[in-house]
Amino acid sequence: MKKVIASLLTVAMIAAMAGCNKAPAQSSGATSSEAKPGESKPAETAAPAETTTAETTGKDTFGEGPVHINLWSFTTEVPDMVKQYISMNPDFGKKYTFDVTIVATTNGNYQPVLDQALKNGEVDMYAAESAFVKKYTQGKGAEFAAAYKDLGIDVDKAIKDAQIAQYTVDIGTRPSDNAVVALGYQATGGAMIYRASIAKEVFGGDDVATVEKAVGAGSGSYDTFWKAAEKLAEKGYPIVSGDGDIWHMVENASSSAWVVDGKLNIAPERQAFFDMSKTLYEKGWSNKTADWTPAWYADMKGASQEGKDNKPAFCFFGPAWLINYVMVGNAGGEKIGEGTFGDWRVCKSPVGFFWGGTWVLASKAGADNADKKAGLAEIINWITLDASDKGLQYMWANGTFPGKSKDSVASEKVMNSADGKLDFLNGQNMFDAFIPANKNADGKCLTEYDESINSLFREQVKQYATGQKSIDDAVKQFKADVSDKLHIDS
Amino acid sequence: MAKTQSLHKESIGLKIIIYVVCVILAIASVLPFIIMFSNSMRSTFEIQQSSISFFTKDPIGNLAKNWKVFNGKSFDPATGFINSLIVSTGTTILAVYFSCLTAYALYAYEWKLRDAFFGLIVGIMMIPGTVTAIGFYQAAYKVGMTNKLSMLILPAIASPNMVFFMRQYLQASLSMEIVDSARIDGAGEFMTFNRIVFPLMKPAIATQCIFTFVGSWNNLFVPQILLTKKEKFTLPIEVSLLNSDIYQTEYGSIYLGLSLTVIPLIVIYILLSRYIVEGVALGGVKS
Amino acid sequence: MRNKKLVSYGKFGYIFSIPFILAFLVFSLYPIVYTLVIGFTNLEGLNPKDVHILWDNPFKNFAWVLKSKLFKKSFTNTVVIWIMNFIPQMGLALLLTAWFTDRRSKVKGQGLFKILFYMPNIITAATVAILFGQIFGFPSGPVNATLIKLGLSKEGFDFQLKPMRIKAVVAFIQFWQWYGYTMVMLISGVIGINPEIFEAADLDGANRVQTFFLITLPCIRTIMLYVLVTSLIGGLNMFDIPSLYAMNHGDNGGYTLNCFIKDQAFGPDNFYDTAAAASVLMFLVIVALSLVLFFIMRDKDEAKLKKLKKQQLKMARSRKAY
Repeated sequence: MKKVIASLLTVAMIAAMAGCNKAPAQSSGATSSEAKPGESKPAETAAPAETTTAETTGKDTFGEGPVHINLWSFTTEVPDMVKQYISMNPDFGKKYTFDVTIVATTNGNYQPVLDQALKNGEVDMYAAESAFVKKYTQGKGAEFAAAYKDLGIDVDKAIKDAQIAQYTVDIGTRPSDNAVVALGYQATGGAMIYRASIAKEVFGGDDVATVEKAVGAGSGSYDTFWKAAEKLAEKGYPIVSGDGDIWHMVENASSSAWVVDGKLNIAPERQAFFDMSKTLYEKGWSNKTADWTPAWYADMKGASQEGKDNKPAFCFFGPAWLINYVMVGNAGGEKIGEGTFGDWRVCKSPVGFFWGGTWVLASKAGADNADKKAGLAEIINWITLDASDKGLQYMWANGTFPGKSKDSVASEKVMNSADGKLDFLNGQNMFDAFIPANKNADGKCLTEYDESINSLFREQVKQYATGQKSIDDAVKQFKADVSDKLHIDS
Repeated sequence: MAKTQSLHKESIGLKIIIYVVCVILAIASVLPFIIMFSNSMRSTFEIQQSSISFFTKDPIGNLAKNWKVFNGKSFDPATGFINSLIVSTGTTILAVYFSCLTAYALYAYEWKLRDAFFGLIVGIMMIPGTVTAIGFYQAAYKVGMTNKLSMLILPAIASPNMVFFMRQYLQASLSMEIVDSARIDGAGEFMTFNRIVFPLMKPAIATQCIFTFVGSWNNLFVPQILLTKKEKFTLPIEVSLLNSDIYQTEYGSIYLGLSLTVIPLIVIYILLSRYIVEGVALGGVKS
Repeated sequence: MRNKKLVSYGKFGYIFSIPFILAFLVFSLYPIVYTLVIGFTNLEGLNPKDVHILWDNPFKNFAWVLKSKLFKKSFTNTVVIWIMNFIPQMGLALLLTAWFTDRRSKVKGQGLFKILFYMPNIITAATVAILFGQIFGFPSGPVNATLIKLGLSKEGFDFQLKPMRIKAVVAFIQFWQWYGYTMVMLISGVIGINPEIFEAADLDGANRVQTFFLITLPCIRTIMLYVLVTSLIGGLNMFDIPSLYAMNHGDNGGYTLNCFIKDQAFGPDNFYDTAAAASVLMFLVIVALSLVLFFIMRDKDEAKLKKLKKQQLKMARSRKAY
């Protein structure tokens, strides 16, 4: 046993010593990444920023000013933006220090901890994701948020000037005083992303106009879409990979929200999803996949599933991030002609929708502090409203923000001036489809319960579609689950 | 003669069965580790296409890329590693020592509240951890003890599960005669425990060390709500942060992070498992 | 033996328990009391105002939980999954223990096997859930691809569809993760048995089956009880794998008690009150079950065990004396 204890003690001592050496080790790490900026971040073109960026790596704070601003986030995305801004504007970093707290949303841990800190007035700026943003803009957490105009931002004018996507403004507007309290940087309006070669084979043409006509793009109904599905099925192609691909469209285009006046409400559009899913399943119009599983990714590559000889799906529905962060890498190639790379095009979807997104908020506690107010206004304005070529969104749209590829942004003005051409789309400018997509998106049916209710609903839809139970039993179980888990009665 | 021959045959048959079962179980036990390590050398997209495969185009390049992603986040894997090591080592030492001490108190002495105290320990064992964690967090928050590693270590002094185990173990294997003879030799009670009883509990301690260290090292729930500053993150928190960006999940670096997380565990486990495998004989303890 | 413990030593029982008690008071009691009290209040939501104890109807939260069908279902699920995993787990662990501790047919490489069998317990639940999710993936995954190739299924099985299937997968994962741990526990119990007892059995001509059932098993009863109780507690607290793999699938088939508590406390409306009530109820259930196990098994066995050991020792000694 002595040996065990001895070895544990040795380990502990080594650990303690390593702990003491931590600071120098870190700075040497920073020096080495400084030495080879090109290698550490290949996507980066804004090289001048690198020196300062490297210095702040591994630290918990950005900037070195006397005024401290507490920033809370669930990923490193927003903190990285602050870091970037300070590196571009060293003066800002001399005035303010950002103390960053990051709590992952895994296991739903971010919200309880953030809530606690908000109550104690220890948060000045925070980020919220589409799944729970309404809690902080319109729900029970809305009281903590400061209106953008109270920070000194002329928000109405700025929104108009930058042509910010309306749905992001709707979601970020607090109903009690009709004030904008949160805005995003990324816009997540969704479009239809289809395979050109399959379109040519089935519809006789792969151009956007032909396909939009064939699927009834922008019609607001699925009638034409189902006809296209039938046509595709004749040649053996399922129109989508799984029912989840259509769900986001159904969900967002609903005429009413899940919860109305404190009661569960199943909008007719969502009720119709039961039979849509069953049709897809029974007629073989999908490959029966679930999102984020290998079978789903296989359809992006245009490959059959393990052990089967099924044909790949015709299209996916999603925002620009789905293309750049998910589909590009899963196309099975890196150049036009390899795998499905270059065989994809974007067009308007039959029904408008959006999917995901992050919103940035300032707290009342932060806005009430005269020292912090100006700093908060400056950084939030840069992230959410600055449509100039110095703004965050310009870098974001052009793929010049370190470590990020091209993405659609909240400001239409930025997208009009940015280059959205992608090899993946055979040179098509993705913003041609995403600018109208952001306009079509509607954030009015969003509630803070959506994430929970959606998963309960889709589970029961699956039970019905696969023939496990009748539609009445499925609806009954769905209502019971919502009542038991969320205390929302029907 | 005939009898021994059939016995011989039977044992060969049995041996074949034993080895077949053991080899199958061994493969099932090791496979996930191999998948984990091989996936850390594959690109995110290769993993998405087929998560259980050993195919990769460029293992070294992918490994380097995955490491860059992991290391390129604003947190520092080396710091996370050291924090995890401090927490797990501290937890293990405190839990093992004080559990043995408490178990010894429960086993070796007659005292009035003994049975009540034992009942209490059994009771604490049964309390579900999920919700008490919130009470724990709020208490820590009130006294300003969040972001302190000691808040994860000190509670280990009261490890009811281990006390229960150690008591059961003492009951099965420690003879009071040994304690008595030490007393006759004039050793103090505390000394007797440290010099005689504690070393005698070696096999139990070795196994409990492993369980505690593994549990503490992999613990995510409490650290995640208690530690919110990057310089205090443990390794599992950093890995879970890689996973929380739903738009861009870097599976390659997640597997790399998971592999890095598990390597120290394997090392420590193998180091300590010697004591189990060798099977420290307890001869002389009870007779 | 007991009469040798002098009363004057009793105070050391208190002294040696002080660190435990202090740590317990500081780090455990507060959260526990906190939880209990919350069960009687209306603590709900993000920024609760006017939190008070429900004097008019103090058991409101408890009544609500008991009435909830989902709570009942989660309770049955938890018990069923635990049984489905515990019986094969204990069976396999006992079998391996018998093989590895058998003194006559020494299994070569058993050290390596022992090390490997415990390995599944080292990986975090998150990794395990991801890996098994992929292995049992539908419509394509290694298990289904094999089934299709062998012609056993045309389309493959969706393991997350039916309640019983999802329970089986969760139980299998738990079994796989924990049989090694149980085996290590049992073996460490066997190592603690005085070798003289086995020698005596050898001399009596007992075969290995007899030795295992008549000597080894009774001697490791205390450790088995420990394994049983901790597994029961761990099983009823089962959360990681169900929440990561099964929580929102299989028509609530893999929804456990802790999933229920977690959903109440950390859903969008933070029902800490019902979550606390549910955990108190769960606590009571566990106490009841454990006490039943404890008192039925312990008292009788301990007495028997002591007698047995004494007898065997006596026999061994008398034989040595010859």
